[in-house]
This record gives sequence, structure tokens and C-alpha cells, in this order.
Amino acid sequence: MTDRARVLEVGDLTYRYPGADRDALARVSVALAPGELVVLAGRSGSGKSTLIRAACGLVPHFHGGEVAGRVEVAGLDAREHGPGELARVVGVVSQDPESQIVSTTVRAEIELPLELRAEPAARRARAVEEVALALAIPALLDRTTDTLSGGELQRVALAAALVTRPPLVLLDEPTSQLDPVAGDELVWLLRRLNEQWGTTIVVCEHRLERCLGAADRAIAMRDGAVGFDGRPAEFLEWALANDPALATPGARLFDLAGLRPLPVGVREAREVLRDGRPDGDLARNPSGAAAPRPRERAKRSAAIRPPALTVEDLWIEFGQRDVLREVDLAIGAGERVALMGRNGAGKSTLLRAAAGAVKPARGRIEAPLGCALLSQTPDDFLVHERVADELPGEVGRRALEAADLGWAADVDPRDLSGGERQRLALAIVMAGRGEDEAAPGLVCLDEPTRGMDRARKDELAHRIRGLAGGATAVVVATHDVEFAARFAARVVLLGDGEVIADGPAADVLSGGWYFATEVARILDSDRAITPEQGAELLRASAPQPVEDG
Amino acid sequence: MRSALAYTPRPGRLQAASAPAAAAYLGSIAVVAFVFSSPIVLAGAAAAVAVAGLAAGARRALAVSLRWGLWLGATLVVVNVLVTDRGETVLVRGYDVPVLGPMDVTLESLAAGGVLAMRIVVVTMAFAVWSACVDPDRVLRLVRPVARRSALTATLVSRMVPVAAGDLARLREAAELRGPGAAPIGHAALVRRLVGGSLDRALDVAATLELRGYALPGRVRAVRRRSRWDRRFVAAGVAIAAIAVGARLAGIGGFDTYPELAIEAGAATLVLSAALPVIAALPFARRRPRGAGLRTREAGAHD
Repeated sequence: MTDRARVLEVGDLTYRYPGADRDALARVSVALAPGELVVLAGRSGSGKSTLIRAACGLVPHFHGGEVAGRVEVAGLDAREHGPGELARVVGVVSQDPESQIVSTTVRAEIELPLELRAEPAARRARAVEEVALALAIPALLDRTTDTLSGGELQRVALAAALVTRPPLVLLDEPTSQLDPVAGDELVWLLRRLNEQWGTTIVVCEHRLERCLGAADRAIAMRDGAVGFDGRPAEFLEWALANDPALATPGARLFDLAGLRPLPVGVREAREVLRDGRPDGDLARNPSGAAAPRPRERAKRSAAIRPPALTVEDLWIEFGQRDVLREVDLAIGAGERVALMGRNGAGKSTLLRAAAGAVKPARGRIEAPLGCALLSQTPDDFLVHERVADELPGEVGRRALEAADLGWAADVDPRDLSGGERQRLALAIVMAGRGEDEAAPGLVCLDEPTRGMDRARKDELAHRIRGLAGGATAVVVATHDVEFAARFAARVVLLGDGEVIADGPAADVLSGGWYFATEVARILDSDRAITPEQGAELLRASAPQPVEDG
Repeated sequence: MRSALAYTPRPGRLQAASAPAAAAYLGSIAVVAFVFSSPIVLAGAAAAVAVAGLAAGARRALAVSLRWGLWLGATLVVVNVLVTDRGETVLVRGYDVPVLGPMDVTLESLAAGGVLAMRIVVVTMAFAVWSACVDPDRVLRLVRPVARRSALTATLVSRMVPVAAGDLARLREAAELRGPGAAPIGHAALVRRLVGGSLDRALDVAATLELRGYALPGRVRAVRRRSRWDRRFVAAGVAIAAIAVGARLAGIGGFDTYPELAIEAGAATLVLSAALPVIAALPFARRRPRGAGLRTREAGAHD
């Protein structure tokens, strides 16, 4: 590949943020050709976002710090050209839609980069229309940005990044705040842009099962360095050998079942299984028993365990809109429930109502043994300058010990890692809610896995199981179906403010396309939603034992 | 729920008008409020801004701003009555105010406070109609070529205000969700946390602006979007301002509060007051179709 042909060339790049005690990037070398769609993988803190910032000039021009090595974007040296100049050749979309919108209307937002480049009015108008059509957002053009959903905001941000037709687009966890439907739509939109416009696209993502199938190439970062750079199928082999937390559920399923080659997507996995599939035993349970209606399930569940949450004919309205309608639900002590649904389905509102932060317009919602709610941003709970000041006294000391944070009493909460901050925030909302310093009867977590890598999600799932083991019911609102499959015994699916499914996790997370795990989609079975269950099913249904390797 | 004062794109002549034309139109009504003290003329100005807001579809913005204006105005009336004992018509004599001593409530101080309140109401309503009907992006575009840094500051502020409002709402809810065993959060801690978070947010927004190319060298080309209603709004604004200044110079609409109330309520003042809402309505008037009048031409909002 000649220099001219490279859209991005990073050579021996080493970078350290101001005041940091270690390098965020260590001798990173990467070259991208035009038209590639690249997935950038890695655990939290591995250097993915920093590499994206270096490729668009924010590092070092905006963030400062010490830098060595070379970054060239479409022939422009990033040491000499700042982010404004590099913006001619690179578009960037970050994970927080709120902070990347700067105009009042969608049209003005998309037009701004062209206006700042003094493009003539006719060219601006055409470019805005074309990019809006390409991203299927013409209907949004005359809306104000504060009326858009998270998915719509991400599309608008992408449109603003694409409107100058840059040869390179960088996306930093663009689906982290999107529901499974909006997330999948965004990934396929990127693939279409990549194929039709020839744009080189780099997507930094934790939920690799969502985008690896659409990628030409995968790059994995480890401790600030490039750990792997190659084809997605080879990446999966590398991940299983070196960092299993990065492997997709499909790859883990195949690995546990001793199958090869590892699939990079559902279609590929199904093809492999179809060719060598033992029999039809994996099909869904044909018993034909009608699924009980949500209200019946609620009553049955309430009859089994002492109630931790009772919801009867609940209606909640904001303004003129009913956010929750006729919701009936009963959650018993010790249950682990995933609350799922699209953005705006009413998940957060239901949790806030359980905690008493929202008043019902009609109906009843009660948590008789107390309810602690950890909302979407744990940092909102960290206000003091010492961890011990957040939870004072002997009660606080014991709460910190229970959260494995006894060692951090004198630390500034903002200096803790993401997982530690979340544990501290959880300890803050639970403190004093249960009798005799016990946990409250109900703990609710709202989207706790945003921006988390799988290792941290596993740690959270373990903690949730620990809470539920002590008879506390745990309800988690989440978009992450794989995480739901790992911790939940029951899944409640909301659609437009109503309960549209309520049942065992294996039933709900296997019965659809968007709200189904990758393993369930591969096997099309209601008996396996995790790689472990799937592998067991494959082994059990094989005519002969499958040999390892 | 969105603020009533937030800009809402909708088809309408004031929404389609350019920012300078809308500024001339609504600004002229605010000028009347500052030039005159006569309650009769101020009532006319209030009627003018109400006509403008209702015709532009900003009913909610008008209602909210009227409520705010009345609260603020009532406060001004009370303060004025408390601190001023000028005037010859004493309504309450010699009540004792701590620090200030014995005070009288006079009809004149009450009226002076009322005039201030009316001014506040008119200006607040005019601003509310501007805020709800004039696209802030157009205003910033207008400013950007001549004052880039000011436009940058205005962009950051206009973005940070709703973001900070959202952050504050979240922080308040988080404070309420803390367990009884956790340290309570006072207002000072909440504000400190909000300011600290806003600085981080401002950095994110600034980075976005940088990535959009805000720092690119070279002069930004002025973006001019005109509407065919611009002339009407400018003409109405100029007419209101000219009539107001002319009437003031001619001594029409006189009003004195001290030492005793003196209001000029002649025909000229009444005509002036009535003319203001009529002129304000003119940019929204539909032109009668030429000929037999069988065809009505629906006026398009956008050009």
C-alpha cells in the first residue's frame, strides 16, 4: 500500500495525557486503506478512544500531553494540522449524543461544518439534503435537536460528520446508548455508507457481536498497544487465546462446543451448523402451551414469593402523553429481573415510580420492603471530595466494606475506576434503606452497563446474583441482551408503555430477533441463550460426542 | 416537557422572517415600553405584543411570560411602595418598617410601581415571542461573520444552558434517591457539583465545535435568508418606533407620578395606544386577492 493510498497512517505513536503516570498509547502503528470498515476492540482503558482522538487531532491539540510518533490523515500531518483542519478529511461521532450537538435545529446542525468552510448556499443545501436522504432523516431536518431520541441524535451527529464527505469516519462507541433496534440499524447504515460511498469507517465498540459481522478488519488494543490487527475470524481465535472477554457469544459457543471455524456473525454460524447439524432437536419447544398473559404471570409470581414490588393498573403521564399504560406486575423477593424495551418504552419511568420519584396518574405501585434506585449516571451520586464523606459514620464504614471499598475511605470518588464508582453509588442509594443495615427489598439499576466492557459486566452480574441471594429483588433496565442473559432469571419487555412480554429469560430472550441473544439467534432454540447453555445443547443433540478442537 | 420559551419550528410569517426583520418588529414594541410611562400607551404596547405572539402561534410563550412578568411586576410594586414615601395621596399612614422607620403608602408610589410592572410585562412578553419564534441558529449565523468569538461564546452558552438544566434535574433526583444512611446533599454541594460537571460538558461541546471546523482560518461567509414577509415586519417595526418617538416629542402620552398623579388621556394618546396593536397586526394581514375575489391565495410561510 502506498502512502497516497492510506487514509490513516499511525506510526510508532506514543502518547501520555497531562498529569498521567503512564502512557495511554505505546508505540501504536496502524495503517488503514480506503473503503475499509474496521472494528476497534479492547477493554475499558485500553487506548481505543485515545487512538480515535489522535486520528482526529484532538490529541494532542485539544487535550495537550506528551506525544511522539506520527499520525497522518489523508496525507495531512496531525502534528501540524489541528482538529479543525483535519475535519476536512475525518468525521467523528462520540458516544454521548448530548455533547456533540451544538445547534438548535437539525438542518443547522448538519449545515454548520459547510458554513464554517464558507461553502456556497446552493452546495450546502444539496449536501444537507443528500446526507439526510442517505441516513433516512429528511423528516428530522426541521425539528429542534432537543426533541430527538438518542438514536435520532446519533444519526444527526453522523450526518454532521459525513456532510463534508470525509474519506474517514471515526465512531467511538456509537451504540452504547441505543436500544438493540437502533443499534443494529446504525451498524447496517455504516456498512451501507461504507459500500456505497467508499468511506473508511472505524467503529470502536464493546458489544462486538453487534458489528463484527459487518467489519472487514478488527484491531484489538491492549494496555495502549495494538494486540491484534487482522481479519475478524482470526481476531476471534486471538481473543479466545489472549483475552476471552473480547470474544463474541457466538465464538464462545463454538469454542465450548468444540466447533470450528469460529463464526463472525449469526448467518455464518447458522451455515456451519446447518451443514453439520445433528438433528432438529434444537427447534423451539413444540408443546404449544399458550403463554400466560402478563397479568396472570404477575399474580402467579406474587403468589410464590413475598412481594418486593407490586404494580397494579399503573398509568403514568408526562404532559399529554401516557408513558406507562395499564401496567400490572409483581416481583417477588430474590428475583433477578431484566426490564427491556426500546428507547422511550417506559423502563426508566417504571423504575423511578418504584422509587417514588414519579407519581402515578392512576393505579398503585408499592415496594413494601423499601426500594433503592441507581439511575443511569452513577457519577451524579458522587458529590463529596472523600469517599468516607459520602457514607459517614459506622453505618457508612460497614456499607463501604460491603461494597469492597473499605480501602478507599480517603480517596476522592472521582479518582476511582468506573466499576468502583458504580459500586460506591450503589452503596449510597442502598444505605440505611433495609432493616438492621440489611439491603432493601428491591434494588433497581437503570442502564448500568453503558460503556462497560464484558469483564466489568460479569463483575456486575456477580454482584447482582449476590444481592438476590440475600432475598433482595433486583430489577435492571437494560438494552444489553447478552448482559440480561447472564444475570436475569426473568425478563419483562415493555413496548410503548405496556408490558408486551413477561417470562423466564430463556423464553423472552430467544423468541425474537432484536431482543434475543446471539446464541438464541444462532440456535433458534428456547433452551439456550448463553454460550454455555448453547454448547451443552449442541453436545447433547449431537449423534456422537464432538471432539475438542 | 419543553420550555414554552424554546424555539419551535412551525410554518408562520414571523418564524420565516429573517432575524433582523424580527428584531426590528419586536424590538420596536420594547422601545415603546421604555419611551413611555403612560399606562394607556403601555397597555397599547402590551396589546401589540399579544397580537404579535398570538398571530405567530406563540400562545404558550405569551402565557408563561405574562405569568413571570406579573410576578416580577408585583414584586416591583411592593418594593417601590416600601422604599418610596413620595406622593401626596396617602393611602396608609405611618406604618413601621424595620430599618427604614415609619412609612406612608401613597397612591403615587403605587402607580409608579405599576408602570414599572407594565414595562416589565411588555418587555418579557416581547422577549418570549422572540425566543419562541426566531430560530437562534439564524441569529448566530448573523453574528458569526462579524464577531466570531462572540458567536462562539453565544453558541456555547446557548448549548450549555439546556445541558446544565438537564444536569441539574438529574443531580437533584440523585440527591433525593440517596439512602437515609448516606450523607445528605445541601444546595452548595449540588451547585459545586453542577459547576464542576458543566466545565467538563463545556469542554466536550468545545471539542465538538473544534471538530466541526470552528477554528478554521478564513472569513465565514454571511448566511442571509430572506423571507418575503421581511419588508412587512421591518415596515411595521419602523412605523411603531417612528410613531412612538414622534408622539413622545410632540408631548403625547404624558404621565407624571409625583408629586401627584397626572395622566394625559386625550384623543391623541388613545389613538396612539390603539394604533400600536393595529400596526403590529399588519404583517400578518392577508392581502385581498385582485379581481373578483373568487380565488384566495394562501400565503406560504417559507420562501
